[in-house]
Amino acid sequence: MGNLSYQERTLWGSLVVELVVYLPYFFFHHQNSVAKVAGMIFAIIVLQIILQSIIAAVTRHRITDERDKLIQLKGYRAGYITLVTLMVVGLGMLWMHTHANAGEFQIHHLNMGLHFLSVFFGMAVISDIVKTLAQIVAYRRGF
Amino acid sequence: MPGLRNTLRELRAQRSMTQQELADAIGVTRQTVIAIELDKYSPSLETAFRIAQVFGVPLEQVFQYEWKRK
Repeated sequence: MGNLSYQERTLWGSLVVELVVYLPYFFFHHQNSVAKVAGMIFAIIVLQIILQSIIAAVTRHRITDERDKLIQLKGYRAGYITLVTLMVVGLGMLWMHTHANAGEFQIHHLNMGLHFLSVFFGMAVISDIVKTLAQIVAYRRGF
Repeated sequence: MPGLRNTLRELRAQRSMTQQELADAIGVTRQTVIAIELDKYSPSLETAFRIAQVFGVPLEQVFQYEWKRK
């Protein structure tokens, strides 16, 4: 960690928090609820604040330069492309599912909001992880 | 970065300047200086001129660009 810039350290911190909080959510939960999604978002915010405060405290040079800004833009571009791709794929799957079931959408209308919340939350999470990874790769490999 | 080369490391060594000192002088992080030296990052024109000014040499002495037509 000694050779990493402040921005790169914060990215690694973000990635750790995202993976620590989201991976169990994706792999170990079956019964979804609004409270769980809200809990995840709350956990992310709290853990990010704690971790980023620690990183800021142990980093002497906390400046951001032109390279950091360019890498940030590259990351957001990768995240945006991922989000749009996932939305198109998601809509395509929904369309195919609807047609395969003769126009009947199988999700009960009471659960509809929760399902969409989960799907959109998942898309946002994956896009955010891709954004962070793209930025880390840009720092490591150069561009 | 194909085509763009620099003599940053040599100029810095001649003046016994550390990467951190150069970074502070031109207002970037030490990691950015490392990336420029390793040809992993092409700095903006503004930063390139600042580097040349710090060393007191013309820009062409710091950066060389070979344009390869396809």
